[in-house]
Amino acid sequence: MMAQVIMEQVARPGAVSLSTIAVNNLTKRFPAPGAESSFTVLDSISLSVDEGEFVSIVGPSGCGKSTLLNIIAGIESYESGSVTVAPRAGKSDSGSRIGYVFQSPRLLNWLTVQDNIQFVLEAQNIPRSRWQELVAKHLDMVGLSGQERNYPLNLSGGMQQRVAIARVLAIEPDILLMDEPFSHLDAITARKMRLDLIDILTKARPTILFVTHDLAEAVFLSDRIYMMNAKPARIFNEVPVDISRPRKPEDSKILDLEKTLVREFFGVLEAKD
Amino acid sequence: MASGSISGVKSVSLRAGSIGLLLLLWWAGSRLMDDAEVLPGPVTIGLAIGADLAHAGPDGNSAFLHIGLTLARIIVAFAASMLAGIAIGLAMGLSAVLESALLIMIPLMLTMPTILMVFLAVMWFGFSEAGGLVAVMALVTPYVAVNIFEGTKAMDKSLIEMGVTFKARKSLLIRKVYLPQLMPYIFSAFRYAFGMTWKIVALAETFGLKYGIGSMFFFWFNST
Repeated sequence: MMAQVIMEQVARPGAVSLSTIAVNNLTKRFPAPGAESSFTVLDSISLSVDEGEFVSIVGPSGCGKSTLLNIIAGIESYESGSVTVAPRAGKSDSGSRIGYVFQSPRLLNWLTVQDNIQFVLEAQNIPRSRWQELVAKHLDMVGLSGQERNYPLNLSGGMQQRVAIARVLAIEPDILLMDEPFSHLDAITARKMRLDLIDILTKARPTILFVTHDLAEAVFLSDRIYMMNAKPARIFNEVPVDISRPRKPEDSKILDLEKTLVREFFGVLEAKD
Repeated sequence: MASGSISGVKSVSLRAGSIGLLLLLWWAGSRLMDDAEVLPGPVTIGLAIGADLAHAGPDGNSAFLHIGLTLARIIVAFAASMLAGIAIGLAMGLSAVLESALLIMIPLMLTMPTILMVFLAVMWFGFSEAGGLVAVMALVTPYVAVNIFEGTKAMDKSLIEMGVTFKARKSLLIRKVYLPQLMPYIFSAFRYAFGMTWKIVALAETFGLKYGIGSMFFFWFNST
């Protein structure tokens, strides 16, 4: 069964802090190989993301973060709990447009950069008359103007991931799900991409749920952080990041918070063992 | 090419050389056999082809009619088998139900002897064009289908997942994600299927049809 993403059609008047994404007591199991019992991947996960907010989920690799994003995107099923994705306030069409950025760029190498973006525009039934404008605007946003007719394999890894970001922004998503989008890049490229992402987000402001295993990255980018441990995945802490923007990656407040969170993380992981 | 690429001039001369060697072997064989009824040499055959093209055949039709009909049958039967094979292979790759239902049929169809299928088609359809077409499709389609099916198993799942995440419809996925990844498999099926079609059409003409290269072969085979 595919996940049921309940689209709340009616915007509630007066509801100021209506969450755009609301996950309540979500539990997901995979059948364990060779056993009668099943293996719990996500255990009673509850979280919320408000409109325009940048929220990160930090956890060790393989803790089920990607599964959680897939469930919110509506491409994976779950056993119990609820997942609600509400439309943006003032929008009357059928729910939210959800965009997804993967760990690797996942571009179609046989299509040009422009055709890769047009592929998702066609998938989302965006009228053909808007394609050229949307492609140009979002390639410009990620600093890749002039690469329209180039092929992905001629671009560096960082540029390919920029195309993937332009592709997802081109559908003008209300919600952006990002699954460790910079983890495959070298440290210098990843740092530049993070700064650029913040810059891009001042122009297009979707609600973002960002998954990472990198605490420094989470602290630098987010308004709020959920900390998750593994097997089964549970959220054990929620941390607001009250550091004013624009931020600098080497800001001592960011480094201090990162240190505190790293200590807490290892405390929890060691207590488990 | 596995052993590195070969320059254009070298490639042309290698091809010419291999054809030249074949002609030389043919010529030597005919000299050794020394019987033009059993194995005529290349020169004799060349002259005979010239004469056949210039004059009407035993049934009053020119060689061009027979050659043209054979080529037309090959093209139609080949195109139909390729399209059907690609469609079936793709459907098997996309649907687990079709996969398990059809996969068992493939070895059955692949082991069907060509001559048997041609005779069956003649029995079912008589001496008509449909017989040849059915024989080719029955024999070639499963081969193409199994190739394309193998191709669907080798596709990059993460790209399909990307398409699904962006809510791409099946038709868009097939055009932009599936088929481009299947091209190498389609080309390899293309080569083999073309050769198979050629042989089956000639055989079907030999036993089941009045016109075409195969029917003329049968005519002359019977009259000697």
